[in-house]
Amino acid sequence: MFRKSERLWGKAPLMSDYDAVIIGGGLHGLATAYYLARNHGMKNIAVIEKRHIGFGGAGRNTAIVRANQRTKENLSLYKEGLELWPKLTAELDYNLMFYNCGNLNLAHSEAALSAMRMQVASARFFGIESHIADPKECKELVPALNISEDITYPIFGGMYHPPGGIVRHDAVVWGLAKGAAKLGVHIHQGTEVLGINVEKGKITSVETDQGTISTPRVLNAAGGYSASLSYKMLGIHLPVSVLTIQAMVTQPLKPLLDHVVSSGAYHCYANQTLKGEIATGAHMDPWPNYTTQTTAHYIKHQAEALSEFLPCLRGVRFMRIWGGLADMTPDMAPIMDGNDPIEGYYTDCGWGYFGFKSAAVTGKYMAQFMADGECPDMLRPFTLRRFEQHRLMGEMAGTVVYSPWN
Amino acid sequence: MALTITCPICGRRNGYEFRFGGEDKGARPDEEGLSPEDWCDYTHNNTCIAGIQKEWWYHRDGCGSWFTIHRNTITNLEAEATA
Ligand SMILES: Cc1cc2nc3c(=O)[nH]c(=O)nc-3n(C[C@H](O)[C@H](O)[C@H](O)COP(=O)(O)OP(=O)(O)OC[C@H]3O[C@@H](n4cnc5c(N)ncnc54)[C@H](O)[C@@H]3O)c2cc1C
Ligand SMILES: [Zn+2]
Repeated sequence: MFRKSERLWGKAPLMSDYDAVIIGGGLHGLATAYYLARNHGMKNIAVIEKRHIGFGGAGRNTAIVRANQRTKENLSLYKEGLELWPKLTAELDYNLMFYNCGNLNLAHSEAALSAMRMQVASARFFGIESHIADPKECKELVPALNISEDITYPIFGGMYHPPGGIVRHDAVVWGLAKGAAKLGVHIHQGTEVLGINVEKGKITSVETDQGTISTPRVLNAAGGYSASLSYKMLGIHLPVSVLTIQAMVTQPLKPLLDHVVSSGAYHCYANQTLKGEIATGAHMDPWPNYTTQTTAHYIKHQAEALSEFLPCLRGVRFMRIWGGLADMTPDMAPIMDGNDPIEGYYTDCGWGYFGFKSAAVTGKYMAQFMADGECPDMLRPFTLRRFEQHRLMGEMAGTVVYSPWN
Repeated sequence: MALTITCPICGRRNGYEFRFGGEDKGARPDEEGLSPEDWCDYTHNNTCIAGIQKEWWYHRDGCGSWFTIHRNTITNLEAEATA
């Protein structure tokens, strides 16, 4: 019954030369490395992680996946991302614990409902299941929901998106690391990138605290640290604000919440984990910082919000709280770019608090980009230049605006 | 550490009374001959220093002043200006 435990991936020596160096052992870095090896036959790849894989947002997120964004560029990417989880589970031979319990997003005003109607129509246009639910259906989906008028923000209805849900985030980190390492990718933990060298407009090497690595390709997938790294190492400014976002879990409870429930007005979302805890994500302190600190302010906020729309949670205790970094862009859409202005330099960041659900699919396309040097059509709209061209994406209106501005 | 901000008029107050006003990027650029790149740099781009930065704050729930401070983004503590 008990097998001898095996390491999921081995330790490799740091070579002085790689075909691609990926900065950051988060989800995006590991996924890109995996697909570079799997789809493009590139085996001489290093993932450089200053702490340990999953140290950043990858190991701190609330694991929610969905494909009901607002704009066409985002919808098609997230749709493919959502469809990837079961395939990836099989392919990696690793249980990613995809639980497609569906997401219910609450509307607390007529205006919010109208906005959802448009979001539903857009999703459906791409063949993504999503519909408007009236308060009665919301209550059927989540019997614990308080649909009375007796709360601060009464529920007018919601947007229900059945194919979404949760995926075990640590499993994705480990599964991708296992898969990538098996294909020959070197994962170097405890190694920090300190500089990126460019000659005549081309990437030549990367400086780490363990030595210099020659390489023609570098991917900046440093999550919350990507914008600071981009400016410090290459002088490239990014339209990013880095904020700390907090999440917490309650003590384990009997099953009571079968769907992910979210509310923009309450700045709160919640789901019940397979262990029985209610995991809930909060709003962000609206000033840039790298602290990842947790605050009583948000424990109180979450308790107030949850005990209003899920009143059966009154008196339930929070067990753990943690914080992570969110790299927010002005249009709530990520930045994926490459070979501009430096040949061989690629960026995949600006994922804010929504970069878990998209990690695998993004890795697939970023790998294609890095292998061919040509930007795949799927990623073109996400170019950094959209900001100077005044072509910001309309994802701002699709969610609560979690920027430093509110 | 909870954030406190020192308003030039009201003194040191709870950070939640204030609204963050962005990194200090110097004067608004002259519109005459301004390129889209430079305008983008001024409006959208940030330096995102992990360390001490000069930044704008607005005392929203107080006297309404706009002012700049130096703050360490790694600790959230106000700091002396660095050279
Ligand atoms: C509390 C919270 C809740 C969230 N909830 C959700 C959710 O429900 N759904 C969703 O889709 N997304 C969610 N997210 C967002 C998601 O976690 C991130 O967008 C995602 O993890 C970004 O992945 P990444 O690989 O780009 O970065 P990360 O996972 O942050 O990885 C970056 C890595 O780079 C490393 N690094 C940095 N600098 C260097 C350097 N100089 N040298 C070497 N390594 C370096 C870091 O140590 C880190 O491990 C949430 C985030 C948080 C914090
Ligand atoms: Zn004041």
